[in-house]
Amino acid sequence: MQKNIRNFSIIAHIDHGKSTLADRLIQECGAVSAREMTAQMMDTMDIEKERGITIKAQSVRLTYVKDGEPYILNLIDTPGHVDFSYEVSRSLASSDGALLVVDASQGVEAQTIANVYIAIEHNLEIIPVINKIDLPAAEPERVKEEIEHTIGLDCSHAIDVSAKSGIGIRELLDAIVERIPAPVGDSKAPTKALIYDSWFDNYLGALALVRVYDGEIKKGQEIYVMGTKKKHEVLNLMYPHPLVLQKTPVLRTGEVGIVILGLKNVGDVKVGDTITDNRHKTATPIGGFKEVKQFVFAGIYPIETDRFEELRDALDKLKLNDASISYEPETSVALGFGFRVGFLGLLHMEVIKERLEREFDLDLIATAPTVTYKVHKTDGTILDIQNPSQLPPINEMQEIQEPYVKATVITPTDFLGNIITLLNNKRGIQQKMDYLSVNRVLLEYAIPLNEIVMDFYDKLKSMSKGYASFDYEPIGYREGDLVKLDILVAGEVVDALSIIVPRVSAQTKGRDFVKAMKEIVPRQLFEVAIQASIGNKVIARETVKSMGKNVTAKCYGGDITRKRKLLEKQKEGKKRMKSIGKVQLPQEAFLTVLKMD
Amino acid sequence: MLLYIHIPFCETKCHYCAFNSYVDKFDIAEHYFRAMEKQLEFELKRFNVQKNSISSVFIGGGTPSSVDAKLYKNIFRQIEPFLVEDAEITTEANPNSTTKQWIEKMMELGVNRISFGVQSFNNDKLLFLGRTHDAIKAQDVISFAHQVGIKNISLDLLYGLVLDTPSLLEKDLDIAFSLPINHLSAYALTIEKNTPFAKRKKIVNSTLELAQIVVDGVQKRGFYQYEISNFGTYKSRHNLGYWQYKNYIGIGSGAVGFLDNKRFYPSKNPNKYIENPLQIKTEQLTLQDQHIEKIFLGLRSEVGIKKEMLTQEEQQKVALLIDEKKLTCKDKTLFNNNYFLSDEIVLFITN
Repeated sequence: MQKNIRNFSIIAHIDHGKSTLADRLIQECGAVSAREMTAQMMDTMDIEKERGITIKAQSVRLTYVKDGEPYILNLIDTPGHVDFSYEVSRSLASSDGALLVVDASQGVEAQTIANVYIAIEHNLEIIPVINKIDLPAAEPERVKEEIEHTIGLDCSHAIDVSAKSGIGIRELLDAIVERIPAPVGDSKAPTKALIYDSWFDNYLGALALVRVYDGEIKKGQEIYVMGTKKKHEVLNLMYPHPLVLQKTPVLRTGEVGIVILGLKNVGDVKVGDTITDNRHKTATPIGGFKEVKQFVFAGIYPIETDRFEELRDALDKLKLNDASISYEPETSVALGFGFRVGFLGLLHMEVIKERLEREFDLDLIATAPTVTYKVHKTDGTILDIQNPSQLPPINEMQEIQEPYVKATVITPTDFLGNIITLLNNKRGIQQKMDYLSVNRVLLEYAIPLNEIVMDFYDKLKSMSKGYASFDYEPIGYREGDLVKLDILVAGEVVDALSIIVPRVSAQTKGRDFVKAMKEIVPRQLFEVAIQASIGNKVIARETVKSMGKNVTAKCYGGDITRKRKLLEKQKEGKKRMKSIGKVQLPQEAFLTVLKMD
Repeated sequence: MLLYIHIPFCETKCHYCAFNSYVDKFDIAEHYFRAMEKQLEFELKRFNVQKNSISSVFIGGGTPSSVDAKLYKNIFRQIEPFLVEDAEITTEANPNSTTKQWIEKMMELGVNRISFGVQSFNNDKLLFLGRTHDAIKAQDVISFAHQVGIKNISLDLLYGLVLDTPSLLEKDLDIAFSLPINHLSAYALTIEKNTPFAKRKKIVNSTLELAQIVVDGVQKRGFYQYEISNFGTYKSRHNLGYWQYKNYIGIGSGAVGFLDNKRFYPSKNPNKYIENPLQIKTEQLTLQDQHIEKIFLGLRSEVGIKKEMLTQEEQQKVALLIDEKKLTCKDKTLFNNNYFLSDEIVLFITN
């Protein structure tokens, strides 16, 4: 029954215990027995478990009985890392309420604020939840005050919990039932459902995770996808569950479920698209769904140039379950055929590259991440440049503009000095400094996006011992005094290594770059010169000395096979290197820029 | 055609040794030789060996000098008709177990070359390696061999240990060259699995500096380098045969045979070998296997590689290497200018 359904998400800053709370709710509702319970139930991807972060939003359908009345709780997990706010917005679009989880000893963080604003935009009922209240350092009352002060959210009915030890979980479940509204929607109207996630399953094909707004979806029904304008038959319907998917003949108004259409192409069930009945179509599709926007771009190339088509297939498949990437073919003199891939951030880029290599058995080279520059040419045209090697010659450019973001940092005052220095070094311009309490400060800076996509987050975390939090949002383009820095290996420009840098720091960057490259490039048969240049002017040089020896002195009499096998092993190792002329560069060489200070 | 005979017995096991050898199996030596005779008979047929066609015989181990010379008698009788007139017949020998009498008897059978496993003339180093002879013993036994009339004498030296110093190695070479030898093999120590050294740390010093001292030192003293580890005024026909990709018969447990595109492996365990010396595993070599083997054998020795056997792509890489003076091309054959880089060059060409 529609009035007994509750659709809700959990939003939190990274590490504030969101996944643990989700696990606890699942367990409390008996969807998974204690024996089956593995930590972080909802993180199903290997990479998520290994890195301890949630990347893709997952959903689970729970049953909870309150006062003898059974309720269906659809819990939609959200990712916590700053790179994945797009996924947060997707999860929230399909919810009617949200639990705002804040760590009782940490308080409000930059991401908490960002995520709450998304929830408020979607008009969700927000329940503040103070987690980890059993920790000695917990200060739930201070944290509630902070939430009221910074977000303006009433905390008089906040719920105190400890996800880890199970305190307050029942109260929380009761609050979900009492305070989050049941889904509104007309069960008699034509089918209207939002695809808020889709992915590819090797056995079932392309799957769409939907929230039904009006009417219902039935097995065997002929449905119509409004964006792609294609009709399909519903082969099967399922409820989401972390262990076993439960089949159902129908998804009713307000419900969340998986629609199986037997499609090979995930592009047919695009996230944000609306499903309706083929004969009785709903009048208008569901709107207001925020389009994904990529901030970071990098070239992705197969090491073996003949595997370009395999890479294309892999990207097509990956796109099915991660709609937030974009890609277009490009060519590089040094690397051959590949793709310029757009990502949500640097972590997203690492994750995607790792998934492509792991799930599709590819050896890939990723080039330095870059942002989209707007180049105003002297002939009046404007170019979007996402690949430094495509920057026009200096005399054809009137000006280069680069994207800026508003960066929000919240930090304990102990680290304030260092963080301000970091922001200044990254060309940040201070716009706001606000003391949240005696010992916590909120900073707002306008800063070039390029500066934060590289290693800003890691630096901030390490210089604040993990205490500073960070979030950002784009604020448009500004003019920059920028130049292209080229890298020459053995006298040849390697286009895939070029980067765009501020003119004032070009000299230093060039020196740092070649120095870092020298550490990464192994000794070869020949001496290898590594140079940095601007225009045709060389500004820095390092030399990788030639190799002294590589041979096994003893060749065991007639056992030549043994020797051959040893060589083949060495050969395997070299396969992951890229030949550029006579020089072989390891994959990491193309990401040298991330290893610089 | 070459013939290799493997003797899997040793008085003691050295700390670095991963060869197929046993210190506790002397009681089966006689049975072992009977088994080898049986395998030899089979191989002579399999290889279709003609009269006057075996140009080299090499008895290796293990320690060939650890067993009585008379045990070799039947084998020599078997191969006699197939040997070329001036066949090179080498045996390895260990300074510790080799007696004047043993050398004389082996000479009577036909041995005309001995390769002594000396390793060093520094007693500390010998102890460290687990060798049981000392420097004086090694020099004495080489003098014996010369006096008895062995024409071609070689010795093995080992380098690349942490206790090696430039002066220690120079001294080893000085003593070696004071002896009546016309050939020397110098091997860099490599740590093999399942050896006592593999369990210990700080054994190897694989710097180029030490290796260069040995290679330069040997050449300075008048020996010509014809392979990464082999030097002499005399070149061993047997060693060259391997690098020239010649066929060879391998007799005994742990020996390897090679015929055109196949390699043969009799049982490694001597007891199993005695049970059935004809239980031999065969490895089929692909064209690709043979291709890369010819390249690395040619590049680690003066044999070189025929340019025409290389693919178009490989020849392009070779052209680069000639430009960079890593290889020299003479009479359509490519020669390596620095054996120390041979593996790297193979990888460069074939990658």
